[in-house]
Amino acid sequence: MTNIIDHYVDQHIADTAHNSEVMPAWLVQQKQSAIEQFKSCGFPTLRDEDWRYTSLKSVVSKFFEVKVTETTASVDLEPFLLEDLDCYRLVFIDGRFSLQDSTMPQSVEGCDISALGSMSLIELEQAPPALTKGGTVSNGFSALNVAFSKDGYVVQIADQTQLDKPIEILFVSASDNVAAQPRSIVQMGRFAEAVLIERHVSVQGLTALSNSTCQIELNENSKLDFYLVESMDSAATQIHSLDAELAKNSTLSCRTLTLGGGLVRNNLKVSLNGEGAHCDMFGLYNTAGKQHVDNHTNVIHAAPHCTSNELYKGVLDQRSRAVFHGRINVEQDAQKTDAIQTNNNLLLSANAEIDTKPQLEIYADDVKCAHGATVGQIDEASLFYLRTRGIAEADARSLLTFAFVNDVMERVDIEALKDSVSAELAAKLIDEKVDLRSEA
Amino acid sequence: MLSINNLHANIEGKKILNGINLEVGTGEVHAIMGPNGSGKSTLASVLAGRDNYEVTEGSITYRDQDLMEMDPEIRAREGVFLAFQYPVEIPGVTNMYLLKAAINAVKKHRGLDELDAREFLKLIKEKAAMVEMKQEFLYRSVNEGFSGGEKKRNEILQMALLEPYLSILDETDSGLDIDALKIVAKGVNLIRSQERSMILVTHYQRLLDYIVPDYVHVLAGGKIIRSGGKELALELEEKGYGWIDELAAA
Ligand SMILES: Nc1ncnc2c1ncn2[C@@H]1O[C@H](COP(=O)(O)OP(=O)(O)O)[C@@H](O)[C@H]1O
Ligand SMILES: [Mg+2]
Repeated sequence: MTNIIDHYVDQHIADTAHNSEVMPAWLVQQKQSAIEQFKSCGFPTLRDEDWRYTSLKSVVSKFFEVKVTETTASVDLEPFLLEDLDCYRLVFIDGRFSLQDSTMPQSVEGCDISALGSMSLIELEQAPPALTKGGTVSNGFSALNVAFSKDGYVVQIADQTQLDKPIEILFVSASDNVAAQPRSIVQMGRFAEAVLIERHVSVQGLTALSNSTCQIELNENSKLDFYLVESMDSAATQIHSLDAELAKNSTLSCRTLTLGGGLVRNNLKVSLNGEGAHCDMFGLYNTAGKQHVDNHTNVIHAAPHCTSNELYKGVLDQRSRAVFHGRINVEQDAQKTDAIQTNNNLLLSANAEIDTKPQLEIYADDVKCAHGATVGQIDEASLFYLRTRGIAEADARSLLTFAFVNDVMERVDIEALKDSVSAELAAKLIDEKVDLRSEA
Repeated sequence: MLSINNLHANIEGKKILNGINLEVGTGEVHAIMGPNGSGKSTLASVLAGRDNYEVTEGSITYRDQDLMEMDPEIRAREGVFLAFQYPVEIPGVTNMYLLKAAINAVKKHRGLDELDAREFLKLIKEKAAMVEMKQEFLYRSVNEGFSGGEKKRNEILQMALLEPYLSILDETDSGLDIDALKIVAKGVNLIRSQERSMILVTHYQRLLDYIVPDYVHVLAGGKIIRSGGKELALELEEKGYGWIDELAAA
């Protein structure tokens, strides 16, 4: 039996043989060096400081297939669509773009929205530097992503352009034992504005891996609202890496809303490179059963007068586990930095477990940096108060749980999305209660 | 309405209530007075169903039912209301949401039609005007950032909305200035009727200038040591709580 490293290396050889003619030489080269890197570093282990709370045993023991050919599985998308969401939509099935399921903007001036896999050789030559430079390879997963990615969304918004509607990108895992490796790029021109929603779902019961990356570049004074909504089935694994570079006076708002997925790891790295850049990072995770959700965030203050505001809230039930690791780097030149980081957790079960770890590395002296983490249970006095007003215990508990996550939910500015996340959360909390009763 | 017989209760192994006997008839208003720490709030909490108190002895009958058998929410729906001495703040739950959920829980329990949004709004505006609460408070989180007086008024608003059969007001008058006290008294007097009973827990006699009780009881050391008419409150005010220690010792 081959080992897991050889398994991917072999697939890479087959892939290269099959696809190298349709790729520019630099891309073939990029992929080659990525697989070399994977060969030497392999998957992260618990010995890696950044992965010490997240065991990858279940992922590393599975020999996922990386699709070499273009075939996409047929899947009923109906259950995954948000009816009331008025948006452009790009659908990716097992990491490959599905034009027939997508609603592309028809010639919106200044907006270039396409799929990486549909780009011609000429288009690839003019691709944003984030692609041509080779991406950031920081661990085995990002190496695999560069090595195997053939598709992903590429959004380029020209200077002074505001997109009229949000762009939704729906990633659907639809085949058993397949690893999707989408690689996406967003390039915001000066004073450009856009709203982008990544939603990740999977067909029930499928053992699937989605290993996606997204590189975002915000030019001066641009503004991007980014939503990451994770609603996969608990048999699926999700590794998501977002890497954003912010120029002067640009603003990035990230909301990471994780409700589904058996094992989820989100890497969110934001570099504030230009003076006056600002980033908001709001997160919500609700875990139950044996779910494991790990949010790893890193804000790098590299320029003066930048602000970052981070708030993650977790609700953990049953035997689930969550990790929050928030790193803030303030470099020497980043005077007048204002950074806030908060992580609050609500444990609904004595068997749930949270590891929360702030990490501040500050090399400038005139900065404001605040961080705080809490872990608590439902407040008994509040619960009693609600019950004395006639509200049933189970309803009171779910009301208090919603109240707990309210300040993150309030940051979801798209009504249709807020409604669907609320509904999903409510359904999950009810399920958990039912499970509890059947366990008893 | 309510019959408490030989009630004993502990918290964390510590004896707080030591054999309380109290009969509250329909339409009656009873005042319970007593020094700090005598067990007034404990009694109120036990009546509302707080489960961290252990009732070791005795019984409570409410409208011909065993009160101890009911969960707090059932008691509320059956018409028991507690205005808390220290109302909790619940960030993230709007007052409006709580009030609507509460009234509809009660209505549903009693087999009545639930209120739709429009009906509810009309009703709540009326009640809020009654307790002179500004409408913006309805849209804020429950008690969050409310002053002491505003919290107490919010309790009275809830009571006025739910129209309970048995209201227990735990030191609703404490910390109120005279104007706020009058508003609270107005709310109480408005729902006071032949069908409703009330227990006013208070530390001071001044509330009783505005809400005249039918009976006054003195609680000390977890026991009712003296009962009488409204004049007992005045006597207590005059002689001070030191007098109670003498009574208790006797
Ligand atoms: N949670 C608790 N744990 C331990 N002792 C308590 C608790 N709550 C109340 N007590 C004690 O019970 C006694 C009665 O308290 P309480 O009923 O609040 O008195 P009152 O309302 O008359 O001031 C006091 O001695 C108080 O310290
Ligand atoms: Mg008290």
